[in-house]
Amino acid sequence: MCVMIARSQLNWSPLSRWIRNVLFRQRVFFSLISFCLFLPSLLPSAEETIPQKYGGQLVISTVSDPKTFNDIMAKETSSTIVTSHIFDGLTTTNAFTTKVEPHLAKSWQVSSDGLVWTFFLREGVRWNDGAPFSADDVVFTFNDLIYNPRIPSSAKDVFTIDGQPFKVEKVDDLTVRFTLPVKFAPFLRGMGQAILPKHKLKKAVEDEAFNFTWGIDTDPQEIVGTGPYKLVRYDPGQRLIFERNPYYWKLSPEGEQLPYLGRVVYLIVPSADVQLLKFLEGTIDIYNVRGSDFPYLKPLEKERNFTVYDLGPDMGSQFIFFNQNNGAHPETGKAYLPAHKLAWFTDLNFRRAVAHAIDRKKIIEIVNNGLGYPQYSSIGPGAGFFHTEEVVQYDFDLKTAKKILADAGYQDRNQDGILEDQEGHRLEFNLYTNAGNTERLDIAAIIRQDLENLGMKINFQSLEFNTLVSKLTSTFEWDAVVLGLTGGIEPHFGQNVWHSSGGLHMWHPNQETPATDWEKRIDELFSLGVQELSEDKRKVFYDEFQMIVSQKLPLIYTVLSAQMTAVRNKFVNLKPTNYGGVLHNLEEIYMKKEAR
Amino acid sequence: MSADKKHLSEFQIALRNFKKNRLACLGVVILGLLYVAVIFAEFLSPYSYKNENRNYSYCPPTVIQFFDENRLVWPYVYGRQLEFNAYHGRIYTIDKTQKYPLRFFAPGDTYQWLGFLPGRRHLIGVSEPGRFYLLGADSRGRDVFSRLLYGGRISLSIGLIGVCISFTIGLIVGGVAGYYGGRVDDILMRICEMFMMVPGFYLLLALRSAVPDNFNSVQVYFAIVVILSFIGWAGLARIIRGMCLSLREREYVLAARTFGLSDRKIITGHILPHTVSYSIFAVMLSIPGYILGESALSLIGLGIQDPFASWGNMLSDAMSIVRIKFAPWILLPGFFIFVTVICFNVIGDALRDCLDPLLKSEVKG
Repeated sequence: MCVMIARSQLNWSPLSRWIRNVLFRQRVFFSLISFCLFLPSLLPSAEETIPQKYGGQLVISTVSDPKTFNDIMAKETSSTIVTSHIFDGLTTTNAFTTKVEPHLAKSWQVSSDGLVWTFFLREGVRWNDGAPFSADDVVFTFNDLIYNPRIPSSAKDVFTIDGQPFKVEKVDDLTVRFTLPVKFAPFLRGMGQAILPKHKLKKAVEDEAFNFTWGIDTDPQEIVGTGPYKLVRYDPGQRLIFERNPYYWKLSPEGEQLPYLGRVVYLIVPSADVQLLKFLEGTIDIYNVRGSDFPYLKPLEKERNFTVYDLGPDMGSQFIFFNQNNGAHPETGKAYLPAHKLAWFTDLNFRRAVAHAIDRKKIIEIVNNGLGYPQYSSIGPGAGFFHTEEVVQYDFDLKTAKKILADAGYQDRNQDGILEDQEGHRLEFNLYTNAGNTERLDIAAIIRQDLENLGMKINFQSLEFNTLVSKLTSTFEWDAVVLGLTGGIEPHFGQNVWHSSGGLHMWHPNQETPATDWEKRIDELFSLGVQELSEDKRKVFYDEFQMIVSQKLPLIYTVLSAQMTAVRNKFVNLKPTNYGGVLHNLEEIYMKKEAR
Repeated sequence: MSADKKHLSEFQIALRNFKKNRLACLGVVILGLLYVAVIFAEFLSPYSYKNENRNYSYCPPTVIQFFDENRLVWPYVYGRQLEFNAYHGRIYTIDKTQKYPLRFFAPGDTYQWLGFLPGRRHLIGVSEPGRFYLLGADSRGRDVFSRLLYGGRISLSIGLIGVCISFTIGLIVGGVAGYYGGRVDDILMRICEMFMMVPGFYLLLALRSAVPDNFNSVQVYFAIVVILSFIGWAGLARIIRGMCLSLREREYVLAARTFGLSDRKIITGHILPHTVSYSIFAVMLSIPGYILGESALSLIGLGIQDPFASWGNMLSDAMSIVRIKFAPWILLPGFFIFVTVICFNVIGDALRDCLDPLLKSEVKG
C-alpha cells in the first residue's frame, strides 16, 4: 500500500478515484455525511430550460500549488485535486450509497472463483482532444505505466498482491480482462484508478521520459483526460482554470450533455483564514467551515446569501501515539529510543492511562466550539458499514488513569511532582506535532496539559511538517506525536498503516515479522479481509481489528471535527453527502440564471 | 559668572539634553514600568501562566463591581457561566448569586520568584471557584493579563541579553579589525558581510532548524537568544571598525603605543571607549529587532512553546479573524510589542541627539 502525505493530514492510498475524492475533500473543503436536509429546495425547478443551464463558473480555493499534473506520479493532495477533474476511472463510488458503480466501464462480469474480471467499456467515450477512448488505453495504463519497473508509481503497490501483478489483456476494442493472482476484495473500488491516454504518453514511455512528463510547466493543452473538465491555464501561486470538456461522455437524466458549468477556477491562497476572507468578500464560492468559524458564518447566511451544510463527522482521524520501535540505527547501532522510554511506551498500562487522561469533551468544546465527536474506533463513523462502536471506550477519568499508572509501578518516588518508573527514570519525554495546523496545535496543547496533570513532564515542540514526517518515516527518533490521517470506506486501503510491514505503521514501521501477538493478529485479519468477497463476512474481521486497536492503543484517538461547508446560493443541483462532500456531482451542478 | 555656570561633565550635558525630550522621558517611564511589572510578574499576576480552567474558554474581561444595590461596597466580581448559543458561539452569562470579593495579597498558585524565592501571595485575586480575568482569557481559560506579564519577561529580556552578546562580539570584532587593519580587517569584514548578505529572517529560520528538537523550554529560550545575537552583530562590527580606523590615527593612541601598552589595552582602554556614545544609541535602536525576531519565530510556532508565554506565541492565537472578532483581547500582546518597540526607538533617537558630538555642536552653535 502506498502513502501520500499532505500538510494537514497523512493520507492512505491515493489510488482510486475513491481515494482521490477523499483527498480532494480534505484538501479543499467539502466532505461527507448522510443525506442533507436542504436537498429538496435545491433541486432544479421545472420551468428552467436547457440552454440556461450551461455556462457560468465555480470558484474554489486551495492552499498549495500542485506539484505535477501526472496522475501516476502525483504524491500529494495538492496535485490529486487537479487530476481528479481531468481523469476518470473504470468505476466510481456512488456518493449516496457508497457502492461501486460503472463509470468508464458500463458493466463487468466476474468468474465464479472471483479471479477473472471482464470489463465492458462505454462506447463513444472520447478524450478531451477528441481522440477515441479504447481498451488500449486501459491496458497501457496498467501494463506500461503502473507495472513499469522504471516508473515509481504508488499505484503499483496496491495492484500487486504477494509480489504478483494483475494480468491485464485487451479482448477487443471495448473489452478488457483482468486476471488476479488471488482474490482481492477491494478490486472494484480500486478500479477507480485514473486511466491515462496511450496516444499522448506512448512516446514518453518509449523514451523513458514519462517520470518528467506532464510536470507543472506543461502546456495545459497537452494534458488529456476523459474527465468532465480540462485544464486550460495554470498561474503558479495564483490560480488554476478548468474549462468544460466538450467531449465528456456523461448525460444528465434528461439527456443533456454534461457538465453544465463552463469553468471551474481554483484560487491558490496562503491559508484558511485568507480563504475565509475571500469567501466573505465573494471571491470564492465554497469555504470549508471550521468549528470555530461556525458562530461567525452561520448568522451571516441570509445576509450574505450562502448556506452552511453540516456533513457530519470527518472521515479522517486525529490521535496521539508513542514510539514503540525497538530498532537501532543500521550504521551507528544507536537505538532509536532509549531503553527506558521504550519500556514505558510498549507498556499497555502506560497507553491506557494516557487514553483515560485525554479530555475529549473539552477538546471539542474549546477547539471545535462543540461541533465535534469523540472518536474511539480506528475506522471512523464516516466509513459507514465497516465502522463499529463495539470497541473499548476510554472515558476522561484522571483518577483511573493515575491508578493505572501507580499500579504499573509509575510513582512519584522523590516527591518532585513528576512520576518515575521502577528504575527511577523520570517520565519526561518530547511531544511533537506539526506547526501550521492551528486546530491540531490546540489539541496537542490540551493533551500536553492533560498528561502533565497525570504527573508526566512533557517537552512540547511544533515542528515544520516535513521535519516531522522525516522523523516518522526515516530517522525514527521521536517519543510521542499528535497527528492525523485521512480515512475512507474500504478498510483494506489502510493497510499501510495497520499491517506490521507498512511504511506508515508509524509506531513501529517496516517490521519484518510482527513484533507483538496483536500486531500479528491484525496482519492476519487484513489478509483474511482482503480475500473475502462477502461484505458481511469481511465486517467480522474488521470489527475484530477495531476491537484490538482499541484494546492495545497503538494510536490513541481523540476527536473528529464536524465537516461543514459553506456554499454561496448561486448553484442548483447541489446534493451534499457524507461521503462525497459538496462537489461529488460537480458535472451536474449549474448556476442559477440570476446569478450569472 | 554665577554658580549655575559651573562646568558640566559630558554626561551631565547629555542628561540635560535628554530631559528636554518629553517623548523620550515618557518612553523611559513606560519601559521602566514594564520592566518592573515583568520582574514582579509572579506577584502582580493573579494566576500562574499555566493555570487553566477549561470552563472559561475565551472568557471576556471581568467587570469589577463597586456597587451592590446602589451602595458602595468592597469591590467584587460575579461568577460566570459558559453556554453555547444556537450558532455555537460562546455566551458568558453573569451569575448574580455568586459574588467573589477582590482580595489583596490573596493566596493562589505557588511560585518561586525569579527562580528562588518561594511564595503564594498574589497582589490581587478572588477565591476559587471565582475567576478574575482583568484582560480576558485565552482559549483554555488562562488569564491573558498574567500571561502578558510572564510573556513580557521573555520578550523584554531577550532583547537585553541578545544585545549584550551581539555587542560584545561586535565591539571586539570591530575593534580588532579597525585597529590592526590590513589582512585581519579584510578577513573579519568579509565574514561580517557573509552574515549581512543573507536576509535576516531566513537566516533566523535556518539557524532555528539547526537547534535540536528535544531541547526543553529553557534551552530553547537560550538558543533563540544566541541565534538572534548571531544575526545582529555584523552591522555593528562594521561601523565600530570604521570608527576605529580613524581613532587609531589619533595622537593619544600613538602616545599609548610609544609607552609600550599592549594592543589589547589600547583597544579596550583607549579606542573602544570613544565609540561608546555611538554604541549606546545603537544598542537602544537594535533591541526592538530582537523583540520582533523572537515574536516572529514564536508567531509561526517555532519559538517559545506553549505553555510558556511570550508575546509572540500569545499573538499566534490571534492569527484568525474569527477569534479576533469574538475575543479581541487576544490582540493585546501585539499592542505591548508595539508600545515597547516605539519606546526603544524614541529613546534611541533621543540618545543619538544628545550624545552625537556633531549634533551637539550644532545645538550649541
